[in-house]
Amino acid sequence: VTPLLSELTASTKRLALVGLAKNTGKTVALAALLRELEARGRRVGVTSVGRDGEERDAIDFRIEKPRIELAGGSLVATTDVLLRASTLPHELLEQTDIRTPLGRVLIARLRGPGAIEVAGPSGAADVRAVSDAMLSYGAEQVLIDGAIDRRAASSPDVADGLVMSTGAVLSRNIEEVVRQTVEAVELVRLPLAENGFQALRLAPRFALTAEGEQLAALLDAHPDARRLEVAGALPDRFLRELLHAARRRHRELGVVVSDPTKVFLSQRGPAWYAAQGIAIQTRCSIDLKAITVNPVAPQSHDLDSAQLRALLAETIGDVPIFDVLDTDYAGTRSLATGP
Amino acid sequence: MRSVDLKAVRPYADHLDDGLVQLSFTLPVPYSLAARKAALELAGRMGFEEPEVVHYEQLTDGYTYFVMYGRCTQTVDFTSLQGEGFDIEYMGEDEIERFAAEHVGRPIVVVGASTGSDTHSVGIDAMLNLKGYHGHHGLEGYRSFKTYNLGSQVPNGVLLAKAIEVGADAILVSQTVTQQNLHVHNLTELVEMVEAEGKRREMILACGGPRVTNELAKELGYDAGFSKGTYPNHLATFLVRELAARVGASAA
Repeated sequence: VTPLLSELTASTKRLALVGLAKNTGKTVALAALLRELEARGRRVGVTSVGRDGEERDAIDFRIEKPRIELAGGSLVATTDVLLRASTLPHELLEQTDIRTPLGRVLIARLRGPGAIEVAGPSGAADVRAVSDAMLSYGAEQVLIDGAIDRRAASSPDVADGLVMSTGAVLSRNIEEVVRQTVEAVELVRLPLAENGFQALRLAPRFALTAEGEQLAALLDAHPDARRLEVAGALPDRFLRELLHAARRRHRELGVVVSDPTKVFLSQRGPAWYAAQGIAIQTRCSIDLKAITVNPVAPQSHDLDSAQLRALLAETIGDVPIFDVLDTDYAGTRSLATGP
Repeated sequence: MRSVDLKAVRPYADHLDDGLVQLSFTLPVPYSLAARKAALELAGRMGFEEPEVVHYEQLTDGYTYFVMYGRCTQTVDFTSLQGEGFDIEYMGEDEIERFAAEHVGRPIVVVGASTGSDTHSVGIDAMLNLKGYHGHHGLEGYRSFKTYNLGSQVPNGVLLAKAIEVGADAILVSQTVTQQNLHVHNLTELVEMVEAEGKRREMILACGGPRVTNELAKELGYDAGFSKGTYPNHLATFLVRELAARVGASAA
């Protein structure tokens, strides 16, 4: 029997939902999870790094968005403006100092069920703070919804596990959707840095701006360095320059980051870099619990859901893959035949 | 005299609540009676009651320009929009200087750029450069701001490195957001890089562009979004207020 999304993620106290782009179905996955958790009587806390439960897409007004329905007793971190607009009865637990373009973030307990727009803190440290606050107010699990393609909330500094959403919106070509998704999964599951080698710590911000010449000079000054340690962000531009400089010197190098959300790739994935002799490694890993797919690109095209999932499963293997709206998903079946 | 009902606000021209709206547009049809009829029908479909064409003329062969009036039957609840985040009343330049001196007490450092492949620097120039626009000079002309304009097509990493190097209080980025994911990705990537460098709580992030709303700014992870019709003093008002609130919060 295929498990439910809620069962797979049951042990994850702070669960991040992250999409590879806008309209990959994060919020639909969140709504499915909420329904399942409500059926099991689990008290949840919900926040969003963006905005969820709005009626229309902020860029393309033709696209209608899924609503967020919360059970009575749920905790929520959203703004004063949106909480008031929901008109749901609630108990105000905390007024934070966090300001967003949509108002100040509050933490509240709902006294009754209903639909609400959720817009919590945007910054990772603030997301962690409100998540911990909701846990301390009695939430058994906190769901952190991402926004667009933002990944920072899936950092192990913020969340304990990740559900990744992908979909047809990435490309009309199913192989291209699979390629981009596989690269995103490779990135999330970067190999852990092995201990034992002497790592060369790069100066702060060096990776942000270094040009080819500076990299060449760095490699020549440290002929024995096998690994470079980057404290902050690792942009693609740096990796391309590094690859160039390393090839000329016939050297293979590891580049170590603190976690996968620090890596910013554009054209190529981690496997490609590894094959070229640049191994991207991480100090902390992200626990990828499941992948959800949305076979529909709004206002554009559809892909075949079962085929997309099969192709992904072939390459990715050991991560459960769901389309929570497909009739073959256990959650939709139990809803249809439910009590 | 009739008083304004802020729960049901609608446009007016002659007397309060008459709903009159003036609209102008061009149709790609020849200047003719049929063109006039098309304009009336279109305004009707837009929901205007009693539409009338007050002026129309040929723009060029095959194109007609219209000025119309119509009665709008819809209202908005202004009281629901006055919550925090929407209630900023803009300060003028002198007021901003006084406020900054009193509540911040040091120059506010702002670094701006158009990022990625975006070649449009008009927006960022209007906000930052002394010249400004429409007679409102940019932040460079304020005593209370120290600005760095890095220009256009700036990689996110370079913008961020500069901002960290000069101890920026705020990063201002301009981007023409379209339905293409690329532009949106440029904006989110900057936010994520700021996070990766551990600087998110230290920096105010603002984005601007023709289609940027507060709702979109929130999704993108920015502290504010600015769109068409923004003058430098609007941006400056937000920055001094936000910084003052942060200074206040950390002092408390």
